[in-house]
Amino acid sequence: MAEKTADAIKYKILRFLDVTGFTVFDPIVRLAFREEPKKQLESIFKFLIIPIMFICFCVWVWWTVAPNHKTKSGEVPTPDVVMQSARINHTFSEREKTKETDFLLVGEERLAALAAVEAEMESKSVILAELEARLAQHESNYAQVLEARLAPLQKELDEVKAKYDAIEAEKKVLITEAAAAIEAGTGTTEALLAAIRAEGIAKDESRAAESIIKDKIDAIRSDKYKPLETARLDVNAVADQIQFLKKRVDFLSQSNRSMKVLEAEETLMEYQAKLAKATTAKAALSEAKRVVRAEDSIERLEKQQYASAMTVYLQVKRSIFTVFVGFVVAAIIAIPVGILCGLSRIAMACLTPIISIFKPVSPVVWLLIFQIVVGAFFPDPESHPFFLFFNSLPFIGNLGINPALIFSGCTVAMCAVWPALVNTALGVASIDKDHINVARVLRLNFWERLTKIIIPSAMPLIFAGLRISLGVGWMVLIAAEALSSSDGLGKFVWDEYQNGSSFSFANIIYACFVVGIIGFCLDRMMIVLQRFVSFDESGTSL
Amino acid sequence: MIPRITRILSLTALTVTATSLYAEQLDVEKDTLKFGFIKLTDCAPIVIAKEMGYFEEEGLQVEVTAQPNWKQLLDNVINGELDGAHMLSGQPIAATIGFGTKAHIVTAYTLDLNGNAITVSNDIWKQMQENDPALDTETPEHPITADSLKPIVQAAKDEGKRLPMGMVFPVSTHNYEIRYWLAAAGINPGMYTSTDIKGFTGGDIELSTTPPPQMPATLESGKNVAYCVGEPWNQQAVAKGIGVPVVTNYDIWKNNPEKVFGVTKKWADENPNTHIAVVKALIRAGKWLDETDADGNLVNREEACRILSQKNYVGADYDVLKASMTGYFYFQKSDKREMPDFNVFFKYHSTYPWYSDGVWFLTQMRRWGQITEPKPAEWYAETAKEVYLPKVYLAAAKHLLQEGYIEESDIPWDTDGYKAPTDEFIDGITYDGKDPIGYLNSHTIGNKDEI
Repeated sequence: MAEKTADAIKYKILRFLDVTGFTVFDPIVRLAFREEPKKQLESIFKFLIIPIMFICFCVWVWWTVAPNHKTKSGEVPTPDVVMQSARINHTFSEREKTKETDFLLVGEERLAALAAVEAEMESKSVILAELEARLAQHESNYAQVLEARLAPLQKELDEVKAKYDAIEAEKKVLITEAAAAIEAGTGTTEALLAAIRAEGIAKDESRAAESIIKDKIDAIRSDKYKPLETARLDVNAVADQIQFLKKRVDFLSQSNRSMKVLEAEETLMEYQAKLAKATTAKAALSEAKRVVRAEDSIERLEKQQYASAMTVYLQVKRSIFTVFVGFVVAAIIAIPVGILCGLSRIAMACLTPIISIFKPVSPVVWLLIFQIVVGAFFPDPESHPFFLFFNSLPFIGNLGINPALIFSGCTVAMCAVWPALVNTALGVASIDKDHINVARVLRLNFWERLTKIIIPSAMPLIFAGLRISLGVGWMVLIAAEALSSSDGLGKFVWDEYQNGSSFSFANIIYACFVVGIIGFCLDRMMIVLQRFVSFDESGTSL
Repeated sequence: MIPRITRILSLTALTVTATSLYAEQLDVEKDTLKFGFIKLTDCAPIVIAKEMGYFEEEGLQVEVTAQPNWKQLLDNVINGELDGAHMLSGQPIAATIGFGTKAHIVTAYTLDLNGNAITVSNDIWKQMQENDPALDTETPEHPITADSLKPIVQAAKDEGKRLPMGMVFPVSTHNYEIRYWLAAAGINPGMYTSTDIKGFTGGDIELSTTPPPQMPATLESGKNVAYCVGEPWNQQAVAKGIGVPVVTNYDIWKNNPEKVFGVTKKWADENPNTHIAVVKALIRAGKWLDETDADGNLVNREEACRILSQKNYVGADYDVLKASMTGYFYFQKSDKREMPDFNVFFKYHSTYPWYSDGVWFLTQMRRWGQITEPKPAEWYAETAKEVYLPKVYLAAAKHLLQEGYIEESDIPWDTDGYKAPTDEFIDGITYDGKDPIGYLNSHTIGNKDEI
């Protein structure tokens, strides 16, 4: 009996792995249930250990090759630098969260937090002073080292210059002599020409010699002095923290919401007192107006939210939302049209030229077209009911839906529609003739035939198409966001490229992994769905 | 009641200044705003006004977002996605007269002066040094003219090539500056005509548009041999060792206007008080940026660099931003010079929306053929008046004066909007905003009009 339940559990797990497409972990499960341990170990080694080792090898190659490829934007970041950039992005978003809580803190908690932050700031300032002193020390050291390294080269350069100056002067004398000789009638024009040529050659030689030394000087100047670099980074890190703490102090005191409300209440009281004392009609009117305005401003302040800067996590959320907007639109168009094409050869003939011409068009082109065409529907996006409605919804309201998001979504839909459409048409067209015959025998009407026979049997191919669509959509989205500057991962990458800071390159590689991992998850999600709808239990390609 | 009052008392220390402000707060029509900027150091006043809470003190909740390029920024302002933006001085003017996208854009605030430089590739720099041995030192004398560049341009032309150079936007200050610099040395940078909207006609070189962040890359790949751009992209070239800034726009025209804060006419008409409130906050930010101690050192610039180096703003390295923002400029790694006026955000009455600045840009548009027809002098004055709104600026300044944030001498209260004629150009030609036609005709290269 016990064995049977164990088996049941085992098969459940195996089935789960199968559905989710993680069959590679099968042997581990089987091993855990002691099914043919030797065979399992062997396949674990073959299909798990070796691939893991291969990936480690790839990382190792990255680690060793990257620093040797020097670009003008700095070295190619190694995995640890990319990890660090991930951490920096995380800190950035944590800081935004902290600021938000600070903004909303009230009463005792606020005062306690304020005291803590101020104390921290003080201790950090001490550290900063120390670090700055160290940096200054390193700077002077570096200046000395540089001086020492450059002095001999500078001397050499001066010598070379002097030497060639002398040679050139000599040649000049020869030229004047040759010219004088012509005047005197003793020289030939050839001699003069030769002298001038010789001067040119000497000049070229001197330039070549000088530029060799100058290049050496440049190389020394651009050599990085590690201790100085690290000292500078340390100072910057602490100074950044102090900047952040300063901002926190601001959010805990002056800019705190409760404080602002309090302040406004105080003003209101002042105005109310003045209004009570007002004797003339004019004074009463102006004070009353002020009271109303102050009351309005209190109401507004009480509802005020912290305006958070875009963090990478928010951008990920927004990207995923956008890709689904596009994907859903694509599916809504592709499935009915695909079914129509599959059913009717005339419809297929009508649509084939359109599909074949528009399918290969680049997303960039679509984006530009949508920006112009769809943009015309939103002359005043700030107060357009469409956006007001979506931005008032829970969950998606805080994503800030704007025309740029709609353009990116439309671009995704445009590019994602084709694989789903073509696959649906294929799925419908290739339904087993027997099924159709059965439908005929049963005298099913069109609607029944569609829902009972056609859609179910085309389902696996429809989903296979949708899966490709989502993959294509995700890929297209990043480009569309970069170009339309719709907040999301695409904009993250583009902004980083524009920033050109020392971490930009690492951040771009970081984004590359984030995009890849999310794309992988989306794909897995589609695989699971696809497995649920395929009745034939056949496996899916990975 | 009592506990609340004690609470208030305990907080007054922090809020003394703010309380008095509330009485003055303007009745704004719109209190949540969205401004756009391009990742350049001269967006600083907008960023600082937000980060230092100046917008908030005016009762405004402001979101600032980076825009991918100048065209999209302008489009977003026109279609209402943005309320206002950091713009090139030429953009409101060009949009208003209909060169490029047509829309009536106005400005009531000049964000900064100077701040650009022309960088040439290492190879060109070497050749320039060969042509003019005086340049062949670590610290050559400035300003460097394009005279030593001319033989190189000529040599390339003899081979049937036109040297490719870069600027950021057809109506950008950078375009006019690099053209001015080249033309001052007798190099024809090319003319715009009604059929040639790229501005190549008759040029000795080929000047084309490249977005600022891509500039260093184009220099490295040889797509451009020289470019004119704002910071941090010149200092970036020095830091990466791929080019040498030869001249800053301070040397081309001392204290020239650079960026403005632009909004649509429609927005300005619908939100007059909001506009004044925004300009108030910007004036305060400008003043903060240019604050100096007794010795004349800029005291707030390092903090400004810290803020700007955040990735949601300019995002470049702090050290690179610091290189030009704190009163210095690196011309080569070994050539660091004091340039206290490389970025001016408030001094010299710089933030006032001068009509004469608008007229200068119009003369440049005419000089290079972006304005295809000759126009009378009055047209220049009228167009400048359509775009620049000193009234809004002065209203904001009056409020600030009452509140005690600025001093009487900070603002040119009684000006007619024209700066005094100046000859502080690299070629020494005098510019008088009241005589645009005469100014046009005083140049050798470029369109000339009959008076």
